[in-house]
Amino acid sequence: MSKAKNFSPSRVVAVTWRVLTQISRDRRTIGQMIFVPAIIMLIFGLVAGGAAKNLPVLVDNQDVGYTISAGQNSTSLHFGNSILSSLQLDDRVKVHLGSFASGKAGVDNGTYYAAVTFPANFSMVLFLRNTGQSLNASVTVYIDGTNPTIEATVLAALQSSLQNTFGSGGVVLDEQFAFGGVQFSGLDVSIPAVIGLVLTQVVLLISIITLVKETTSGVLSRLYATPLSAFERLLGFSFALLILGIGMTCVVLFIGLVIFGAVVQGSFVLLFFGAVLFALLNIFLAVFLSNFAKNELQAVQMVPLITLPSMALSGMLIPVSSFPGWVQTIAQFVPMYYANKLFEGIMLKGYGIDNLAPQFIIVGGIALLFFVMAVITVKDRMPD
Amino acid sequence: MWLLSLGGDSLANPSTYLREAVIETSNLVKIYKEGTIKAVDGLNLKIGKGEIYALIGANGSGKTTTISMLTGSLFPTSGEIRVLGLQVPKKRRIVSTRIGVAPQEYALYSDLTVEQNIWFFAKLYSMDRGSFLKRLDELLPILRLNERRKTTVSNLSGGMKRRVSIACALVHQPEIVFFDEATVGIDPVLRAFFWDYFRSLAETGLTIVLTSHVMDEAERANRIGLMRAGKLVEEGSPDEIKRRNLASSIEQVFLKLSEGAVADE
Repeated sequence: MSKAKNFSPSRVVAVTWRVLTQISRDRRTIGQMIFVPAIIMLIFGLVAGGAAKNLPVLVDNQDVGYTISAGQNSTSLHFGNSILSSLQLDDRVKVHLGSFASGKAGVDNGTYYAAVTFPANFSMVLFLRNTGQSLNASVTVYIDGTNPTIEATVLAALQSSLQNTFGSGGVVLDEQFAFGGVQFSGLDVSIPAVIGLVLTQVVLLISIITLVKETTSGVLSRLYATPLSAFERLLGFSFALLILGIGMTCVVLFIGLVIFGAVVQGSFVLLFFGAVLFALLNIFLAVFLSNFAKNELQAVQMVPLITLPSMALSGMLIPVSSFPGWVQTIAQFVPMYYANKLFEGIMLKGYGIDNLAPQFIIVGGIALLFFVMAVITVKDRMPD
Repeated sequence: MWLLSLGGDSLANPSTYLREAVIETSNLVKIYKEGTIKAVDGLNLKIGKGEIYALIGANGSGKTTTISMLTGSLFPTSGEIRVLGLQVPKKRRIVSTRIGVAPQEYALYSDLTVEQNIWFFAKLYSMDRGSFLKRLDELLPILRLNERRKTTVSNLSGGMKRRVSIACALVHQPEIVFFDEATVGIDPVLRAFFWDYFRSLAETGLTIVLTSHVMDEAERANRIGLMRAGKLVEEGSPDEIKRRNLASSIEQVFLKLSEGAVADE
């Protein structure tokens, strides 16, 4: 027998060969290698393809214009119209027309990101300024400051329309912030979305692992032969996970609100209730998914497939209104999209249940749907 | 009612028809979705009350599949099953309250203690705390687990886990217990103990159905069913089987009946 060498390249090759052969037998892992990057890259690519676009803005053009009479010739100036048409050509915003009051109401309820009004004497003041009088025309902007990216994009669109019309100077932007007049910090603004993301990640992961553990321990084959029905088992699991979910919600909210001091303009109770409801949605999703996972590894592999696309499609990174039309449609089916609206609505905009009832109903409805799907797919006996 | 008392191997074999049958199957067939092989192929079983019945056969011969169908955990492809006079799987929830199962794996919650594991199963059978504790005081000394009552299952040896698993199957005082490979990986001392215990249980009227691929072990059962490729190829008391096949041990019978066929199932 030959003496074993200290280092043998052929042993290295044997290990490499064995690993590749094993993976080639594991269809799920191969699927993951191909589809997961494809799906995630596609979604992020589509979503992040452009900057914020088509942000709904209301313009109330009160400008009556100004007519300059010079002898027999008279020239009519209408700067409000010029700015408006420039703004209408700008794809960063989608201009709606209406009264400033309705625009403000629209910003308050989330229909518009900004309401803009040009005063009646807008053209006149600008003309007189040109003749040397020290006057400044002002444009009033009532703007949603709960998302700095959107806020900056709307203002940039407005600024460039003003510049297209006058070059620089002469117009003062009178910015009024909606939602308590607060200009939020980046942290304030990102925390609502982070709450949704962390809840999804943590609750899904813990729940799904807890559930799958029973499948792999062999206890399930014993349970099938006891009076315990699949529905009872599922319900029992759900209660336990709900208690864990409430605990996780407390941790997430404590860190967000106490340690980072994120703003909560609305009711804390409503926020807590919303967060627990969203945790419950993820619990039921986990219960449903666990019916298809054979082991912990498969279960864990499912989680990023949920969280990453949710993150991209929920509008957390780029507002949903900037997505291509059909991607916007897909976003409507992403639970985190509604959760973000809920948390953002309560924390930043100070919305109450009257504003957020649709989101609550949708999140609750999706939770119920997942539960029903879990009940339908739960196994009450060994696989045939 | 069982009419003959069972003293041991020396006793004449109590034929099944003399006992009240608690398990009956007719033409039981199981074909798994993935695959075309009949895992169980036309099985006709009749097991009497208070019997210790051993299903033996090589790995993959259909023993576990049979047990799973008898307990209602797995649905048959065709054929009929009656357990305690009730149709299975149709009435499996009712049947489940009167049977106990110790599967091939330990099938325990390794993060829970011995007592917590047994308590969980007691609760599934709607036992109250009082009668559970009373039952526990009976079971633990017999199974020699008294000192392990508060030990987490993950810290137990294989043999202890096996005993906890048996306790979980017996806690609600079932009329039939199914032990799937209950004595696998157990040292000879413990195995002898198990068999004594099984006998004492059977004497109280409990029916025990067990599987094993250790042929000689099965000689301690009242009756043996020898399975091969999903079929019952031989059945009877150990002595009967040996006599019929002119063999000195069940293992010899098994080898003879498997002749020419490599146990590739």
